[in-house]
Amino acid sequence: MARIQLDDFSLTFRVRQNRRVSFKEYLVRQMFRESVNPVMEVRALQNVNLTIHDGERLGIIGRNGAGKSTMLKVLAGIYPPTSGCRLVEGRVSSLFDLSLGFEPEASGWENIAYRGYLQGETPKSIRSKIQSIADFTELGDFLNLPVRHYSSGMRVRLAFSIATAIDPEILLVDEVLSVGDMSFQQKALQRMRDMMSKARLIVMVSHDLGSIAKFCDRAVWLDEGRVCRIGPTKDVVEAYTASVNGAVSKAA
Amino acid sequence: MSQYLRDVWKCRYFWLSLVKNDLRARYSRSVIGIGWSLLNPLAMTIVLSVVFHELFDMNIKEFGLYLLTGICFWNFVASVVAGGCNCLFQGEVYIRQFPAPMAIYPLRTVLSSSFHFLVALLVVILLRWVLAGFGNLAALPSLIPALLLLFVCGWSLALLAGFATAYFPDTKHLTEVLLQMLYFATPIMYPAQMLRDKRMGWAVDYNPLAALVEMLRQPILNGMKPNVDTFSMATGSVILIGFVAVTALVRLQRKIIFQL
Repeated sequence: MARIQLDDFSLTFRVRQNRRVSFKEYLVRQMFRESVNPVMEVRALQNVNLTIHDGERLGIIGRNGAGKSTMLKVLAGIYPPTSGCRLVEGRVSSLFDLSLGFEPEASGWENIAYRGYLQGETPKSIRSKIQSIADFTELGDFLNLPVRHYSSGMRVRLAFSIATAIDPEILLVDEVLSVGDMSFQQKALQRMRDMMSKARLIVMVSHDLGSIAKFCDRAVWLDEGRVCRIGPTKDVVEAYTASVNGAVSKAA
Repeated sequence: MSQYLRDVWKCRYFWLSLVKNDLRARYSRSVIGIGWSLLNPLAMTIVLSVVFHELFDMNIKEFGLYLLTGICFWNFVASVVAGGCNCLFQGEVYIRQFPAPMAIYPLRTVLSSSFHFLVALLVVILLRWVLAGFGNLAALPSLIPALLLLFVCGWSLALLAGFATAYFPDTKHLTEVLLQMLYFATPIMYPAQMLRDKRMGWAVDYNPLAALVEMLRQPILNGMKPNVDTFSMATGSVILIGFVAVTALVRLQRKIIFQL
């Protein structure tokens, strides 16, 4: 059984305008209290209550900066809560920041193995998959080259192929349907469909409302870190579209 | 804690292959490859033993080996701390995508440093056999606890350096200065006896690094097991720093991502 539950979950980033604290500032702050580098609190998620059951496909929509990607990272266990709690049952596999996470000096083949290991593969289990992963990337001889020579499109191809080669229980997807060139996009879409049918629980973030409507049976609309609306995909997408259109016509 | 170590062990293929990759990347474009990790201590040893021979009339053979052991040890400590400062940034792309145990990133650092250190130590032992015979064979097994202590010490140092750098980027420069000072405060390039003669014995007795390097020197150079004082000093300080590292890990490992 796969299940995700967020109870009254809040996440606040404390960001400094000048990025980091230096020792100097640390000392000065102790003595004079007045800081020249104030902390800005970004309330990325606020009091989110959400339960996703086995078999559900949930879409997350909202404007830029509404907290969608943060939400996925919370579900993946990368960000701890500022308050509230998170409960996840099932093996999580995530598809985000796809072009990151490579060792630039290592070849494509080696990077396939590294990522695979990180996703829980062993040298034995990866051996049977590595050829099909390589075939899916269509990178051919480029796989023998260090990844630092790859174009960004090639990196995404590689990452996508690795990440989707395993059969996850819980799949978290962030805007990956627009990867690569057109022929790869079609292949990726087909691969996503396969995965969607295999994974037991899917959470997906996208600005492409069409694909949310196609893949998901339930949707969440996030706005400024709060759950604005949750329910059947059609209703939520309609409400979201209406509000965006309203805002646009008001502005015009 | 044993659960945590099990989690670390679970992703062993990941960090082991990164270590392998680090080692290869470092040498793939150089001609003498692994020789570089030996050239530095050897060159330092030759220069220093000639100088000390002229200045203080030291026995070149004996003192050369003494120096070489010390320098190899120091290179390990320095590279663990310097690498540790970088380790979380080096692993940032993974940290942002996978919730793996944070201790694997300093582990990566300490493992590649350990590799160089072991190669260098092997050369030291070979040299000692060539220059002074096999008299130390019986004492060599006592190197095993010494290496174990060094490994735990290195892992903890790398972890603390990494976490500290994430909070204060100045740490990197600060540790450079600190290490420089410690280098002269620890009997690396002069005999500990020199300090004792000047009634500075306490600088040796209360210096954990001096105890650790003594744990290597006694068996390799003199063919003797390290004495109880040295052993307890080394063990005690490694336990202490390990404890600090574990505390930092428990308290900060989930929050550290906000600092990257």
